[in-house]
Amino acid sequence: MISMTINGKVVKAEKGEMLLKVTRREGIDIPALCHHDAVEPFGGCRLCMVEITKADWDGWKNYVTACLYPAEDGLIIQTHSAKVNELRKGVLDLLAARCPNSPEIRELAAEYGVPQTTLEEVPDADNCIMCGLCTRVCERLGFKAISTVGRGHSKQVAPPLNEAPPDCVGCISCAQVCPTNVIPYKDINGKRTIWEKQFELIACKECGKHTITTDFADALCERRAIPRDYFDVCDDCRRKELSLKMGSIVAWSREGTS
Amino acid sequence: MNHDLSKLSAIYDRYPRKPQSLIAVLQDIQKEYNFLPCEALKQTAEELNVPLSKVFSVSTFYNAFSLVPKGEKVIRICVGTTCHIRGAKQIQEQLEDELKIKAGQTTEDLQFSLEVVACVGACAMAPVVAVNERYHGNVTVGSCKKLLKKGKKG
Repeated sequence: MISMTINGKVVKAEKGEMLLKVTRREGIDIPALCHHDAVEPFGGCRLCMVEITKADWDGWKNYVTACLYPAEDGLIIQTHSAKVNELRKGVLDLLAARCPNSPEIRELAAEYGVPQTTLEEVPDADNCIMCGLCTRVCERLGFKAISTVGRGHSKQVAPPLNEAPPDCVGCISCAQVCPTNVIPYKDINGKRTIWEKQFELIACKECGKHTITTDFADALCERRAIPRDYFDVCDDCRRKELSLKMGSIVAWSREGTS
Repeated sequence: MNHDLSKLSAIYDRYPRKPQSLIAVLQDIQKEYNFLPCEALKQTAEELNVPLSKVFSVSTFYNAFSLVPKGEKVIRICVGTTCHIRGAKQIQEQLEDELKIKAGQTTEDLQFSLEVVACVGACAMAPVVAVNERYHGNVTVGSCKKLLKKGKKG
């Protein structure tokens, strides 16, 4: 264990764990759009910048991304100093120009004093901040169905050959982690459409609620030796069934002891 | 368009069938076909055990790769600072007029592709126009025509 000072408070942490993890544990709200605990830190959105210094740095300060900076003994960290807020404001000004229609970005920008971008708004904005979280999560899950395509201004997230991605199983993890919610998907009449690929949704045998796609279930069964009929029933119904079973066991044991 | 993909296996045989060989293989395919056919990308993904998304990502990232057929002769006009000062713009306009295409496009007979590049590192002989691997220096609006004629002959 090492100790650091965050906003004047002494905090214990494991050596090497990332500052963002420590600050989140301490309940300090640092904005971060490209970060997700399921994947390696990326340092793409630059919003989690914090100010670091040490007692023997002669007043020198450094500004680093909290998601990528490992905890060190004796670090003195400011998460919301005037300079840090100014840096975040600059980043949010750029993001607000890139994603003028994103409520998530607008809200965050307003919070940091950017009610309206000072730059020219991108015409026909797709509101993607190019953090690549969707592609990284897809890769982490092992499907690797989507990736970034092109480079520079024309870079975007897309399935290969701009066709329905062959490796996609319709788990919609990409849509769910997207910080600006711009990956569209539709669940209609037991069919799911994402990335212009259509999937069949499994309907719970008990209540009829749709759960996951057949492709996703197949992929999970293949990897984890889960029996395929595990997905016949939804989580809620399984819980109900289990509680009834537990209830009867409890009743039986009460009877037995009385 | 149908392409003879039988040449692909010879290309795969040149390199270890590993993800590391991806760029080398794509370069060879580009050289062979003057572009990267979709089917070749799919086959490459399978042969080298690379996700198709990665293959597509790499092949759209580098300017050296093209997903649409390139002309047999790729004419690259340098528009770097030195060439710009020495009249690259006029040369570009002249070539565009001659070939009746804009920079970044390919003639319908797939003979020529026209591209602009930032700097080819031959500022001493600016303005420079490269036709495939051959670099022509001190190009003038007048000598553009000659270049094209030479190009047509092969």
